[in-house]
Amino acid sequence: MDYSKFVTAVLNNDKESIRDSYVIITKVLVKFLLVRLDANIEDAKDSAQNAIMFSIEKIKNEELNHPDYIIHYLFTTAKHDYLKHQNKQKESNYEEVPDNYSQKSDQLERILDDEKHSILKRCFSKLKPKQLAYISFWFNNPGSETALVAKHFGISVNNAWTKKHRIIQVLKECFERNINK
Amino acid sequence: MSVPKNQDDIYQKIDAYINGTLDEKQKDALWVEFAKTPDLLDQLELEVGIKKIIQDSAKKNAVSNVYSLPNWVWHASAAAVILIVALVQLLGVDTPTQIEDFLVGNIPNEQLETANGVRSDEITLTKADSLLNVGFAAISSGDNDKALEIFAEVISEYDEEPYASKAYLNTGIIKYNDGAYDQAITNFKEAAERAKENRMISEKAFWYLGNAYVNIGEMEKALFAVGEAYTRDGIFRKPAFLLYQKLNYDLGNFDIEDAEEASPDQ
Repeated sequence: MDYSKFVTAVLNNDKESIRDSYVIITKVLVKFLLVRLDANIEDAKDSAQNAIMFSIEKIKNEELNHPDYIIHYLFTTAKHDYLKHQNKQKESNYEEVPDNYSQKSDQLERILDDEKHSILKRCFSKLKPKQLAYISFWFNNPGSETALVAKHFGISVNNAWTKKHRIIQVLKECFERNINK
Repeated sequence: MSVPKNQDDIYQKIDAYINGTLDEKQKDALWVEFAKTPDLLDQLELEVGIKKIIQDSAKKNAVSNVYSLPNWVWHASAAAVILIVALVQLLGVDTPTQIEDFLVGNIPNEQLETANGVRSDEITLTKADSLLNVGFAAISSGDNDKALEIFAEVISEYDEEPYASKAYLNTGIIKYNDGAYDQAITNFKEAAERAKENRMISEKAFWYLGNAYVNIGEMEKALFAVGEAYTRDGIFRKPAFLLYQKLNYDLGNFDIEDAEEASPDQ
């Protein structure tokens, strides 16, 4: 995602390019809110949309143009918009979002889509036993040093990463073949 | 998919994120990478999905891991059983232990028999070996029906040792975990019978056979099977000893004077 192109599109009022960027940025922000703030999907979509609209205004006013600042602005604004919305629902009228809101741990499984997950399950069932044993060991030992995995399978650390990546790649290719059917 | 030049580094960070080893700053930095390269979110989703499949499978096959407890626990448990039995005899009260306390609730996947090659890196695999491995993979991914078909194929097409006993044993494990104890018993008996010369498989088959018999209330048969498992002196010796004692007591066979020395092979 090239955010400098997004700036150019906004400044030139290139609606087609803005729409393309809008779709991509929305996807990122919604997932960010689902995972990091455990937002519900509708609230996440609203806050993502608001953040993008605010950023477009800022770009138009030439207050924002550096890609890194845009990314930072989008995440921060989406997060604050969501939290403000939540606080309003609790009838606490904050002008500013309090700094000390309790942050839950990231809800990574919120990123999963049921349909995609069932395709992935089918692909997973087709793994070879050795691939299955390897990837199961990897994910069943969270937080372990890769060196431990490498030692367990009698391979180098680099090869341990490569082996994992290859299995993920096998699953990804299977997934992509099936999602497009 | 377009990925940044330092993709290996990013993939390692995704891995660390999933494993919960990133701090808040690192998480924020990773999300910036996701914003720059949104396709990386597909990678994140894929890996989170894989982890979930593996964890769900593990949960499904979760078990009370009785045989991984340290030795002192077994000694203490054996002493407790003996003490409880003695108290019951002396005081005439009902036993506070339940037979279920000594049973395997769910048999874990690692008890399934596969080709030796999977665990010892042997290179030569027969067709029957491969089928056993494919059956194992099917169970690991939650497809028990497919696994049953595969083990049935091993039994019908490769009715020789060690393949048949392994296939019967694995079928028995699936049936046991499904609560189909009668079918589990039929398969464990076949496995035990065919694996007479294989101490490890026969021990496993007799141990689970004993557990299955208890589940259908056939305590005398359970006592015999658990005793057979005990005498093979393998990894199930200790839990077999405890269950044997409990069965003996419940069947009224217990002689308090022999309590300290009681064991199935005496």
